[in-house]
Amino acid sequence: MIHVKQLSKTYGDVRAISEIDFSVSAGEVVGLLGPNGAGKTTTMRVLCGCIGATSGSVHIGGVDVREEPIVAKARVGYLPEQPPLYDEMTVMDFVVFAATLQGVSDPKAAAHRTLRTVGLDAELSGLPVSERIIGRLSKGYRQRVGLAAALVHDPDVLVLDEPTSGLDPAQRKDLRRLLADLANREQRTVILSTHILAEVEALCDRVIIINQGRVIATDTIEHLRSLAGTLHLAIQGDAEPLIARLLEIDGVEDAQAVSDGLIAVRTKQDCRAEVAQAAAGHGLLELTHSEGLEDVYLRLIEGAQ
Amino acid sequence: MTPVLAIAKRELLGFFAGPVGWLCLVGFSLISGLFFALMTSEFSVMATQATFNPYMADKVDLNQWLIQPFFANTAILLLMLAPAVTMRLIAEDRKRGSLELLLASPISSEQIVLGKYMGALGFITAMLAMTVPLIGMLYWLDSPDTGLVLSCYAATWLMAAAFVAVGLLTSAMTENQIVALVIGFGLLLVLWLMSTADSMIDGTAGELLVGISILPHIEQLMKGLLHSKDIVYFITFIGFFLFATARRVEAYRWR
Repeated sequence: MIHVKQLSKTYGDVRAISEIDFSVSAGEVVGLLGPNGAGKTTTMRVLCGCIGATSGSVHIGGVDVREEPIVAKARVGYLPEQPPLYDEMTVMDFVVFAATLQGVSDPKAAAHRTLRTVGLDAELSGLPVSERIIGRLSKGYRQRVGLAAALVHDPDVLVLDEPTSGLDPAQRKDLRRLLADLANREQRTVILSTHILAEVEALCDRVIIINQGRVIATDTIEHLRSLAGTLHLAIQGDAEPLIARLLEIDGVEDAQAVSDGLIAVRTKQDCRAEVAQAAAGHGLLELTHSEGLEDVYLRLIEGAQ
Repeated sequence: MTPVLAIAKRELLGFFAGPVGWLCLVGFSLISGLFFALMTSEFSVMATQATFNPYMADKVDLNQWLIQPFFANTAILLLMLAPAVTMRLIAEDRKRGSLELLLASPISSEQIVLGKYMGALGFITAMLAMTVPLIGMLYWLDSPDTGLVLSCYAATWLMAAAFVAVGLLTSAMTENQIVALVIGFGLLLVLWLMSTADSMIDGTAGELLVGISILPHIEQLMKGLLHSKDIVYFITFIGFFLFATARRVEAYRWR
């Protein structure tokens, strides 16, 4: 669905992204991860046709964004980090406006349908949310209005730039549930950037990690997690001979007894099989892998620097 | 509704959603009303005096002494207010990020600019429409030359349309509305004062500057003389500024 090839973008002398390559299949949910200033927003803005690339190409459903921007943009729904809203408009008027811009044949019907999808068809303090002035809505509702505007033309691809940023935990949870629904039920291709790794774990099939304008890793979450981590071994017996044996395994960085019968093994690659094999002869009771995506992410970022 | 009309409608309604639009509308109505009251009062004094002076009676003409000066004053008022009307058009969208919505939509930069232009032109037309009751009163009191009245309205409207085109470009040049206002006013003032360039610069350059200036092209229209060259001038002028604005909006994508 999305093919990005050798994509670069420079702002004056500053190279925001450099020769980025990745592909996203139809129906896939991909998380774009990276520290601030890594080039995530620039990549997303180029994907959506908001800005042009300095070099390289982006194809959305086989259509080149540079060659046929109007056709390509009609296939994409984009929600920037700050939702592009007109505060003085009502929710309904704004979504109808967005639908008209997208060339939807019946903007009102599309707006009603989309507001239902994103949960804005309810009432708020006795007045339907759709009739409320956008400027008076909370951040969570504003985010949903922005999402409605991005979805109103039923795009094949949804690009969301930090969609839950600035929301309180309850709003974040609600929006995350909605995004999961949109991705799973409607089989839409979704690219989302976020700093919240739990969100990526909950929503995405795959992650693309960007740092200093370059893609440093593209992988499934499961595989990334297994790349490195801390293994905890519960054993019956003496820990010292096992620790000595574990340190000989290629990929084990460190092994220490953290309490009686419990050894923590820090690894730099997936060597669970070797560790289990070595521990089997030393009274292994349990082997657990206890690393979050955050540690992997930080290790990859640090490694790239 | 097409995207262009949707943008125009949103812009037009946007003027009535904030204080600046209302201030411009009410301010224009009050000041033009004040001008009209003062000029009518002056004219009535002259008309009364003329009844005792047969020589002067021939010269006191409603069209020449009241209608034409009133529209000349309206033109200057619009010169000052048009940049205030147009300053927010693109600058505000850039500042609050709503331009992203337009840039990510499957529409061209030309459509964005045309929609915004039509919205602002609609608002300035509404401002101009506020003077209709004033001119209507003259029909109740006297019998003005309808041809001249229509011609003056056409001249003022065309000039306002040109002002909006200039203001739209200055609004696209910066995120700061005050900067857009100042640049817009400055540019319009230069275009206005260029009509006197031939008195300072000799030869073709001076003539060229006068030709570019707005003033000579509305003077003829305000006398009720419709020349195709003036119409072509305004179409070219507006077209040039809209094209430049569209290029500026397109440049946001390629900065």
